[in-house]
Amino acid sequence: MIALIAETLTGLFTPPFRRKEFFQQLYFVGNKSLVIVVFCVCFAAVVTILESSFHMKMVIQNDSMVPGFAALLILRELGAIVSALLLSSRVGAGYASEVGSMQITEQIDALKMLGIDPVNYLVVPRFLACVLGGMMITIVANMACIFSAMAVSQLYLGYTPSMFLTSMQRFVDFKDLIFAMIKGACFGGVIPLVACYFGFRCQQGAEGVGRATTNTVVVSSIAIIVIDFILSYTFSYLY
Amino acid sequence: MTTVISLLDQMGGTLMFLQKILRTIFFKKLKTHEIFEQIWKVTVDSFPTTAMAGFFVGAIMTVQFGLQLKEFGALGYLGALATSGTFREIGPLLIAFMLSGKVGAFTSAELGTMKVTEQIDAVRCLGADPLQEIIVPRFIGIIVASFFLLAAGLAMSVFGGILMGELFAGVNYEEYLRHVPLIVSPISILTGLVKCGTFALVLATICTYQGYTTFGGAKGVGRSVVTTAVTTMICIVVMDWMTSFIGDILLTIIRGYRP
Repeated sequence: MIALIAETLTGLFTPPFRRKEFFQQLYFVGNKSLVIVVFCVCFAAVVTILESSFHMKMVIQNDSMVPGFAALLILRELGAIVSALLLSSRVGAGYASEVGSMQITEQIDALKMLGIDPVNYLVVPRFLACVLGGMMITIVANMACIFSAMAVSQLYLGYTPSMFLTSMQRFVDFKDLIFAMIKGACFGGVIPLVACYFGFRCQQGAEGVGRATTNTVVVSSIAIIVIDFILSYTFSYLY
Repeated sequence: MTTVISLLDQMGGTLMFLQKILRTIFFKKLKTHEIFEQIWKVTVDSFPTTAMAGFFVGAIMTVQFGLQLKEFGALGYLGALATSGTFREIGPLLIAFMLSGKVGAFTSAELGTMKVTEQIDAVRCLGADPLQEIIVPRFIGIIVASFFLLAAGLAMSVFGGILMGELFAGVNYEEYLRHVPLIVSPISILTGLVKCGTFALVLATICTYQGYTTFGGAKGVGRSVVTTAVTTMICIVVMDWMTSFIGDILLTIIRGYRP
């Protein structure tokens, strides 16, 4: 695993740079996952704001702080982690089954025969595309989240959008957005590394592909949660 | 247009498959031994994963709530709020995500492999019903095991929360747990359980359906696993919203007023 990470990182700076592959992967990560991620994140945001209003009412008897709190929770935590988990199942599982089937049909050995380094050809473009795509998807997901939270607070809790934004402004800094981007990039980087690691080690047969895909989803989800915890803990000293 | 039609086709296929499973459960003899075996297997396989995820979820929730509550000097409520938030909402959701990766993808890969290597057809040739022999034990196993896993995950989340409360916010464990009974009501726990049951039902249906309808060799198995992972996650998020919404309406009807 560590060897793969090291090889990928050195591959980032050694030519040949495969620009076409990179843009194809970026299209796959960015455009094709965007609809699903935004759709899911909107639902998650709706639930979050209703729940936080419920809790606020219980503790301090009014929910005037709800928009600010919910926006903060969305930006710092929810937007990044839910979209990363969705990406890990969509992109990660896709990569693992793709690379896994390449491995068992001996296409990777064929690449080696042709003198092409499989890490440079397969992993590096995916890694770059996921880092960049994860960052951008996190931003778009955060925006969608806040819009849907705004709509729900208008409909159910009776806050107009302007009240929402005013209350948000008190709590949210520009820093939060930057940290969300960093989180998105880190989560994005984990996914292809785990997926390609399990894809390269895929066993023969139909069972092997299934197992590689399963392992990818599990390991990348856990890695995302652990990294999220580490990053949250680190960032909490920087606010 | 074709995507919409194929989506509707998938949904209809899944629901009809669920109907078949339910009919098998109620009208045919249950294979008790196999069901218990599946429950045991699913629980043991996923236990470390869920426990670890739960631990970190509790820790993250405590750090985030701690940051916000510090501004108001309401750290006394930290434990209660983090625990309540985890029990009602985040815990079931994230644990269901974990299960969808672990159990859902695994089951669909297993069934898909059986399907493409024609083991399921072999079972049918021997005069047994594959739904009764293979699908129903897994279906019930996933649903029952998810409750055990939820309990384990939530218990670990409390431990994670206590640890982070001590380290990060300086709230010792007595202080952390003191307000918990005030905020976490039986209804909260019931909400979490209902959510978990719903997610498990959705998960079990989709993964067995996708595995059972796999075609096309090793590539087909990969494809059905990816479809399972994506579909279950989307359905879980949507069901999360729906259970919240319907639960809210039901509670309003029972109480007779909007809280």
